[in-house]
Amino acid sequence: MRSLLHAVRKLDRIPILVACAALFALMAMTFFDVILRSTFNAPIEAATELTRIFVAVMVFAVLPHVSVGNHHISVDLTDGLFRRYRLERVRDGVILIASGVMLIWPVQRIVVLAERTRSYGDVTEYLAIPQFYIMWFIAIGTGIAAASMVIAGVLKLAAPHLLGDDAQ
Amino acid sequence: ADYTLTISSWAPPTHNINAKMWPKFTEMVEEATDGRVTTDLKLGLAPPPAQMDLIQDGAADLSIIFHGYQAGRFVTTKLIELPGYTGSAEEASVAYWRAYDKYLSNADEHRGVKVVAMHTHGPAQLHTADKVESIDDISGLKLRVPGGVGGDVGEALGATGIKVPAPKVYETLASGAADGVVMPVDSRQGFKLTEVAPHLYEMPGGFYRGSFAFIMNEGSFQRLPEDIRTALEEEVFGEPISREIGKIWDAGDQQSLELTKEAAGNTMTVASEADQAKFEEISSGIIDEVITQVGETGVDAEAAYEMLSSELSAD
Amino acid sequence: MTAALIGFALVLVLVLMRMPIVFAMGLVGTFGFAFERSGSLFDAWGLNAAMSMVGRQIIDTAQSYGLSVVPLFILMGLFVNKSGMARELYAVSNAFLGHMRGGIAMATVAACGGFSAISGSSLATAATMSKVAMPEMRRYGYSEGLSTASIAAGGTLGILIPPSVILVIYGLMTETSIGKLFMAGIIPGALGILFYILAVRFTVWRNPDAGPAGPRFNWRERLGALRSVWAVLLLFVLVIGGLYGVFDVYPIYLTFSPTEAAGMGAMGAFLIALSRGGLTLSSTFEVLKDTALTAAALFSVLIGAQIFSNFVNLAGLPEALIGIVTYYDVPPYAVMMMILLIYIVLGCVFESLSMLLLTVPIFFPLVTELGYDPIWFGIVVVVVTEISLITPPVGLNVFILKGVVGNVTTGTIFRGVTPFWIADLFRLALIVLVPWLVLVLPENMGAMGH
Ligand code: NA
Ligand code: NA
Repeated sequence: MRSLLHAVRKLDRIPILVACAALFALMAMTFFDVILRSTFNAPIEAATELTRIFVAVMVFAVLPHVSVGNHHISVDLTDGLFRRYRLERVRDGVILIASGVMLIWPVQRIVVLAERTRSYGDVTEYLAIPQFYIMWFIAIGTGIAAASMVIAGVLKLAAPHLLGDDAQ
Repeated sequence: ADYTLTISSWAPPTHNINAKMWPKFTEMVEEATDGRVTTDLKLGLAPPPAQMDLIQDGAADLSIIFHGYQAGRFVTTKLIELPGYTGSAEEASVAYWRAYDKYLSNADEHRGVKVVAMHTHGPAQLHTADKVESIDDISGLKLRVPGGVGGDVGEALGATGIKVPAPKVYETLASGAADGVVMPVDSRQGFKLTEVAPHLYEMPGGFYRGSFAFIMNEGSFQRLPEDIRTALEEEVFGEPISREIGKIWDAGDQQSLELTKEAAGNTMTVASEADQAKFEEISSGIIDEVITQVGETGVDAEAAYEMLSSELSAD
Repeated sequence: MTAALIGFALVLVLVLMRMPIVFAMGLVGTFGFAFERSGSLFDAWGLNAAMSMVGRQIIDTAQSYGLSVVPLFILMGLFVNKSGMARELYAVSNAFLGHMRGGIAMATVAACGGFSAISGSSLATAATMSKVAMPEMRRYGYSEGLSTASIAAGGTLGILIPPSVILVIYGLMTETSIGKLFMAGIIPGALGILFYILAVRFTVWRNPDAGPAGPRFNWRERLGALRSVWAVLLLFVLVIGGLYGVFDVYPIYLTFSPTEAAGMGAMGAFLIALSRGGLTLSSTFEVLKDTALTAAALFSVLIGAQIFSNFVNLAGLPEALIGIVTYYDVPPYAVMMMILLIYIVLGCVFESLSMLLLTVPIFFPLVTELGYDPIWFGIVVVVVTEISLITPPVGLNVFILKGVVGNVTTGTIFRGVTPFWIADLFRLALIVLVPWLVLVLPENMGAMGH
């Protein structure tokens, strides 16, 4: 079990690398688009649609990591109260499971919308990239986030010793 | 009222779509149903490309879509976008509805929702920061153009296409990132082009026309009692509302033209006969291409084009 | 309207149970939307409609062209951190101000202001400046209260002086021009520096031991220090100047939109950090990773906020509020006073972004209906948001200082911050009473372009 979790954490590096690449590409593309437009009157015409794609890839590649790694924005006003009654672990486990379960319906719906989009043949303006690819990417990223949250929540309640500090 | 239809819309609240068109639609609906049906307008529920999904699944009852925002989905709607038709937005919208009803609807591109109106804004013209005197001046300009036919026309004229969403047009022009924009005259007021693109270059018939539809959730329509449905179908939906929306687009153009005449530093140039002929030649390739594309969807593209051309010819 | 208020209360409860804001707002927003569409919380048709709205919100927010500025400005700030620019800014302001009583704290405030011009976030500004300025103030025997407070307060300027991630988000939520919002933040930001310097003077007037004078620099040293801040100036001029067409001249014609400015700034900061040897492959990776994680969290919370805001919109809360105000004929300034009061109270517990997301969908339609300028309101919202960052009991900038400095209590910092907090209230009052201060730059901006 422990080695399985270890392997999962190693695997986690792949989507993070993908997100970093998308972000760097976004920065470089924006820069060259401006320079090419200003100096050679030759903007990167697909820049707008590529911007959209890079941002979506960046966000949804790291979404599982953000969701399990406690990076979501939350209000920690009542932390002291929970700590005093030693309820932190239970609270975190329950919220992880509830949040993960909550995502199941949106994930299903995004798949439905993606397939609908495929049936209509929607593509991007310049590069004619089918829109449903991006939607599927979003669905998969959100789906992995949902599953990881449920698993992390269950572990937190049932076997907290398995979750080392590096998961936080 | 017994029934309230929720409208989802996206342009700014002051845009004619929200300030005039939906109110007109509501007025017609209330009149046709003796006040038993009314509407509730909600802005900003989702960006434009999401509207059709929202309506199909009932997140709202009615919405407006701009076909150019969904490349690949709408092909037959490119027919009305073509340059070369003369005629006001009213005439074009009526002709468009008729062509849609008779031919274009066979492609079933709006499957999943009920089409309530098909309409088009007035002829799109060129608005620039520096004055354009002839069609040759356009080559080399950085122009904000829409997708679809508008983009093809810009390319054929040798302009460099800048793609930004409509609400960013003002900033894009103000910062100099684009030299001009091809839009309906109506937008001179709405997007404050009189400030950032004072010079108007007018091609009779326009460089393209934008294609819009009003759509409705099928279930929301079916849930209405039969007499109301009949009244709406006969007195509002289809040609009547398309015509009224066209009129509003025309009035917007007129208002912006007057504003342009008054605004300091604004100029208007109408393309010379020679330039018009040149443009006709440039655009003929695009027209053939679009007719072929539309034909590939299985509708009678030639007949539909003939119908639009004959209803929208100068004589 | 009742439904929206119940929904709002539910979100507060869930958020206080420490549910991430995106899930709290998303959950309540989804069921609320279904309820508004069908009249029942569990009607299948209504839930189907709500689910479609949620699905599209996730798909479209993730692909928003306008939001691409957010990761790029964050990226720029993190690259700036790796480039030593914070230290240079501090050295310059210290050379000019350090010899006065409380001068090193004043220099800290000024350096925070300068750093804000190249950083889009208040937390990043406070965190960065604390590493540079704290050791210096310790060395010269400044009190813990004054030294931490000057950084915590000075850091808040990060979201007011452009570029600002919060202003970008306000602009996108309200369809207000981001270029104009940035312009509008400049004078209130400069006033912020001035008022905080007065707060430092007040502190050392009350207790001279809190901030002894530092060494005096001669003019050669001062000019020498000034020369070292070229990178900061270059970056600021590149981003803000490019936005307003400063380089739109022969022979370069270099201009860009707000979205592109962020990309240019990030690339500029990257190249500067790279040329100074501040970046390795692994530290570049860390910067990109941190940016992606922060941006993903921001995008998520925005999606949640949109879902909730759609419910509030459908429930007609903004119209109901406008209706009440019109019916009782409440004068606009009284409404504005109420709103400011609500913000200051909310600011006790909420951090900046959550406060903005929760309140703007409700207040913005009301405020514009009453005839207030949307750009001006954006600046007012950001100033009250800044105040919230140093208002007890939950002040994120104070917590950042506590985190970086360690052996100091939050109580000490909050006590030290009090004069700065009062200075902020004066600044807020000035901006509310004299909207000209906010609007003069953006209104004259059109003339600069063409
Ligand atoms: Na800033
Ligand atoms: Na606070």
